[in-house]
Amino acid sequence: MAESHLSLRLARTWRSFVKPSICNRCLQTRRTLASQASAPQGQRDAELEEASSLGGAPDAGSGSPVRDFDPLKVPRSRKRQLVPSRYQFRSPKYYRGPLHPHQPPPPSDPASREFVPGPFSTPRLEQTYHNIIAPDFMTMCYQHTPPGFRAPQKGARLRPWIGDSPYFRNRPLRGPRGGDVLRLLRKPITFRNIPMIERVTVHSFVKGALSGGSGYIHVAGMALQAITNHRVMTHEARTNEANWGIIKGKTVSMTVDLKGEDMYHFLGKLINVVLPRIKDWNGVRATTGDNSGNLTFGLDPESVATFPEIETNYDAYPGKMIPGLHITIHTTATCDKDARLLLQQVGIPFYGKVVD
Amino acid sequence: MASALRPVLRPTHLASLPTSTSTTTYICQSCRHARLLRRPKRPYTFTQLVTLSDGSAFTIRTTSPVPVYRSTRDTRNSPLWNPTSKELLNVEDDEAGRLAGFRARFGTGFDTAKEARKEAEMESDNISNTPASPTAANAEAAKEPTFEDEQNMFEEDDMNLLDLISSFGQENTQQETQSPQPKKGGKK
Repeated sequence: MAESHLSLRLARTWRSFVKPSICNRCLQTRRTLASQASAPQGQRDAELEEASSLGGAPDAGSGSPVRDFDPLKVPRSRKRQLVPSRYQFRSPKYYRGPLHPHQPPPPSDPASREFVPGPFSTPRLEQTYHNIIAPDFMTMCYQHTPPGFRAPQKGARLRPWIGDSPYFRNRPLRGPRGGDVLRLLRKPITFRNIPMIERVTVHSFVKGALSGGSGYIHVAGMALQAITNHRVMTHEARTNEANWGIIKGKTVSMTVDLKGEDMYHFLGKLINVVLPRIKDWNGVRATTGDNSGNLTFGLDPESVATFPEIETNYDAYPGKMIPGLHITIHTTATCDKDARLLLQQVGIPFYGKVVD
Repeated sequence: MASALRPVLRPTHLASLPTSTSTTTYICQSCRHARLLRRPKRPYTFTQLVTLSDGSAFTIRTTSPVPVYRSTRDTRNSPLWNPTSKELLNVEDDEAGRLAGFRARFGTGFDTAKEARKEAEMESDNISNTPASPTAANAEAAKEPTFEDEQNMFEEDDMNLLDLISSFGQENTQQETQSPQPKKGGKK
């Protein structure tokens, strides 16, 4: 080891002795006026190659490396199969930052550890939506305008500050009249923006877990998983709330976010089988909604127990621990009216006074 | 030697740094240099055939291993979803007339009179619906009930009752003056 180091160092010093400090190429390029005048015109540059590389392959004889290259020779000569770890890509178990050379593939890649396969089926509700509900909705919301009609221009919702005050210059725009909330705009419904169900959030506040131990959490989690085909996400209380007996940091609730196939299966099951079996149920209150097209309603524990998954296996759940649910349906509608119309077509009945 | 004398500039504990004291498992859960890529946990799902009460069927993916689910109560036979269907209204079928007999014997006059009138109306409807459509339309137009008819909830017996109440204390005089048939009140 030390010997090689020595020899390297020696070679370097030797080179500096032999060669001048200016390299060969620099010597050639460094020309004075006089030398340029004296240099003959026909002299060729030593570094320029005569033949073009595009012309054709250099003579490929039998002994040339081009002819001898045989990529299949090694695998054919192999006696037994290669071990899977040599040809299968294995995603790294840890993500070690963007600068690490071994990067995990994106979650959409089947080789990724976070890959979720699917969808495996086309749910009935999804087909109904695309074939029946969406065209119907567009037809119902069609508003005819004669050709050449131009909608009157509305003023900007965020108003500028107008006045003589010097403080109005460069001030952020004023909020809308009547409040600070900038509501979503409802655009006329065309084939491009027909509202559809985006996702469904199933939420359960487990009250029994505050005093009755963690059993309530486990039962509620399993019930929700059975209902929704999804692992639940648990949530801890963020603050102490003495009136409700909530202690900060304690697990009090759980949610499941459903999208796509699972969402449609859940909704289909809910609407067709579960909701009609609720005793003395008038429907969802029409005043629900957050003014931007997301509607919520709740189910009590008795009606949660009528889900087919829980009903077939009812003995597995302690009867008093079955949770109640809050179901939020997020739609792409920008106002509650459209969302209610969509859900009515889907099959959720509404009752009571309608507030828009 | 020299490093031992130097002050330690790096703090041992920062609020922003994740602490390893909270987790007891060996898996590196959250450290800065290596974030564990968890495999998502997905419950096993089966394909289930849901058969509604009217015989229509569709498949869903579900966690329950039961292959076929037959529902007895669903949107097809729930009155909330079928507000106009005649079968789902809870109308008692009284073919033998035993309920009517019971009502005639023990029920109040209120019940019996209403039943009789309803039956008569049903018969007249049947009669009027059987001939050709224009005549039926005419008949319906003629039979169009006025607001007062609809709103007037009092039946004949109630009228008698009301008469009785209103004529309380005047029985003797009325019996003397009036004919034996009961007085039809001027309220109708």
